[in-house]
Amino acid sequence: MRRAKVICAALLFAAGQPAMAEEPGDWAVYGRNNAATRYSPLDQIDRSNVDRLERVWTYRTRDLPPEDLDEKWAPETTPLKVGDTVYLCSAMNIMIALDAASGREMWRYDPEVSTDNIPYSASCRGVAYHAQPALPEQRACRERVIEATLDARLIAVDASTGVPCAGFGNNGHVDLLVGMGEPAPGFVAATSPPTIVAGVAIVGHQVLDGQREDAPSGVIRGYDAVTGELVWAWDLGRPDETGAGDTGPYTPGTPNAWTTFSGDEELGLVYVPIGNSSVDYYGGNRSEEEGNYSTALVALRADTGEVQLAFQTVHHDVWDYDLGSQGTLVEFPMGRGATAPAVILPTKAGDVFVLNRRTGEPLTAVEERPVPPSPLPDESLSPTQPFSVQMPTLAKPEIRERDTWGISPLDQLWCRIQFRRANYDGRYTPPSVDKPWIQYPGYNGGNDWGGVSVDEQRGILIANYTDFPMYNQLVPREEADEQGLVALGDPGGSTESAGTVPQAGAPYAAAIRPWRTFLGMPCKRPPYGGIMAVDLESRKVLWDVPLGTARRNGPFGIPSMLPFVIGTPNNGGPAITAGGLIFIAAATDNLIRAMDIETGEVLWEDTLPAGGQATPMTYEAGGKQFVVIMAGGHHFMETPIGDYLIAYALPD
Amino acid sequence: MADAIDATSPDFREDRERSFAGWLLVILGVFIALAGVAMAAGGIWLISLGGSWYYLLAGIGLAVAGVLLLFERLSGVWLYLAVVAATVLWALWEVGMDAWQLLPRLLALAVLAVVLLFFIPHLRRRAVARRRILHETRQGMTT
Repeated sequence: MRRAKVICAALLFAAGQPAMAEEPGDWAVYGRNNAATRYSPLDQIDRSNVDRLERVWTYRTRDLPPEDLDEKWAPETTPLKVGDTVYLCSAMNIMIALDAASGREMWRYDPEVSTDNIPYSASCRGVAYHAQPALPEQRACRERVIEATLDARLIAVDASTGVPCAGFGNNGHVDLLVGMGEPAPGFVAATSPPTIVAGVAIVGHQVLDGQREDAPSGVIRGYDAVTGELVWAWDLGRPDETGAGDTGPYTPGTPNAWTTFSGDEELGLVYVPIGNSSVDYYGGNRSEEEGNYSTALVALRADTGEVQLAFQTVHHDVWDYDLGSQGTLVEFPMGRGATAPAVILPTKAGDVFVLNRRTGEPLTAVEERPVPPSPLPDESLSPTQPFSVQMPTLAKPEIRERDTWGISPLDQLWCRIQFRRANYDGRYTPPSVDKPWIQYPGYNGGNDWGGVSVDEQRGILIANYTDFPMYNQLVPREEADEQGLVALGDPGGSTESAGTVPQAGAPYAAAIRPWRTFLGMPCKRPPYGGIMAVDLESRKVLWDVPLGTARRNGPFGIPSMLPFVIGTPNNGGPAITAGGLIFIAAATDNLIRAMDIETGEVLWEDTLPAGGQATPMTYEAGGKQFVVIMAGGHHFMETPIGDYLIAYALPD
Repeated sequence: MADAIDATSPDFREDRERSFAGWLLVILGVFIALAGVAMAAGGIWLISLGGSWYYLLAGIGLAVAGVLLLFERLSGVWLYLAVVAATVLWALWEVGMDAWQLLPRLLALAVLAVVLLFFIPHLRRRAVARRRILHETRQGMTT
């Protein structure tokens, strides 16, 4: 019976697969394919031999923060592998090609992005690959690599040489700031790879959080992957205009889409997870148009930019629950052998939504449940929020006073007092100014930019998540002015977006902090992050374990060296294989591990020389299966910064 | 003349000067007393916010135990251990057998308890010495 199910699933999977011939040994797109399953059919490395996995080569990108820079660095890169070559970008957008078997550098292209353009951190999650097989083999840029940069450029270079494509935009460069006004450096930055569907490279960008209400536009644009011409622009301020060839000016302050999109070549759609409106923690001044699409998944037609469907995951979002996760496209089992074309969308708020990717209708029940109203006189929140009730949630039960923590009775007492002092009414506790409020899940999730992975053969979804509350408070404007809080773009403003954020234009600034004691220890009990497996058929949790050990954390930031699994905040996703393995780093313990997909048992691990906040990938080259991860570190996660691209394989 | 207090007896000397162990006890006693006061003060605040009563009660216990230890009273150890025993019961009631959650409630107290156990012989000797001096003083007064 089970085998019949597997065969059925395999056939349906093949039938419904977004049409793009995937080489089993390749990883040609950021999420392995435009469906973002992060699943590889390779099985040379499996549960019986993974404990023998060893490092075979290490490549140094040599792109490290300069001495005087305030260390805002977090490469977050997942490389691609196509044919014999690995393609990646470094934290400051240097494009690199390596021989896939040996790790030897083939070429390098430095677009010379200035560190003034670093927004939240120097990050480049990946590049996109595009080929025109119909062209003669010798033609320049027949195969190309496209990158979106921190200084808002779209760059295309020849995949064999790294030389910019003369026919793309202005000698290989397209300016993404056209129609954006004249934002200060660092305000508008691209940190994710473009998604290419139907020959159109679709690009979003990050707009720096928390600065001001008239922040640059969150416009989504599609550029011809060959010529770099703007094909369409979707301006969320006028969402019904098709925007063909629209070069702006685009409506300021609209929600932006900074993460990686997914695509269905057959349906001709690109799935765009959209972030929050400016400013993050106050929405009293937002427009209606913004309101419809903020914190929503929107599918646009790749050829015209028209909206095909939209699903909002948080109404009138004042919790910074912007969608960071890629939508993963699968054939979702609907019982009795039937399936439906779906997009699985995990959120920072902890829900896992499953929607029909043609229509946007939920495939698993969504309930609008009442949530507390705002205590502010000038804010009006949605009376309900959507909860995905038929899928497991990544959000944990409400915190009680007894769930506080510390290393001694005294600091736990401190946390208990802080708990009682704050407003807390479960998920979606509204921001308040008179008292602090506890936000749980925090703005790091739930699930974030790492996304989830799906093994459609086994019918298992793998999702890692962070489990760490925030202890926030709104700051009245007069007080914020006294503190000298100035938004980016005004004299004295900076790209600092941690701690207290100015929220210029709103009546309040916002103090945003992870909930910790004066010793630097968390105020909530462990675990602080985990990973779970969900059976797609039954929609039940197969296993749910903490992810990460305590080895690198401790009071005052001093590593405890304790090997106990405590569960840590994590960023970066899982890569899963037919060999029954999950490869994931992501936690703050600097380890990469291989886990059994059916039990969650850790079968192998290696200590990385820097933080592993990136999604690993796997490919085959020269008959060998490689697992590769960028150990680049992460400033916000407080892990050591590095420039190591590390490849593992079985010994000969 | 009455049997005067013998200034050369070892018991007398112990009563008048602190030994090394005695000075350690001062440090320990002050530490426990201060921790107890902090716990009680925080405990009052917590109660005023609608929180647990444990911290005020345990804080008082620790503060008194700390002062007793400062005065080299064996009863300080027993009171401290009573607070620990009550804490164990309270902790199990609050969170059950969850190791991570028991850690903040029990670990520091347990470590201090082990340290205090080493001082029991010294405190017993002090108690005996005190009784002997009291007895000798009484004897001296009645003759």
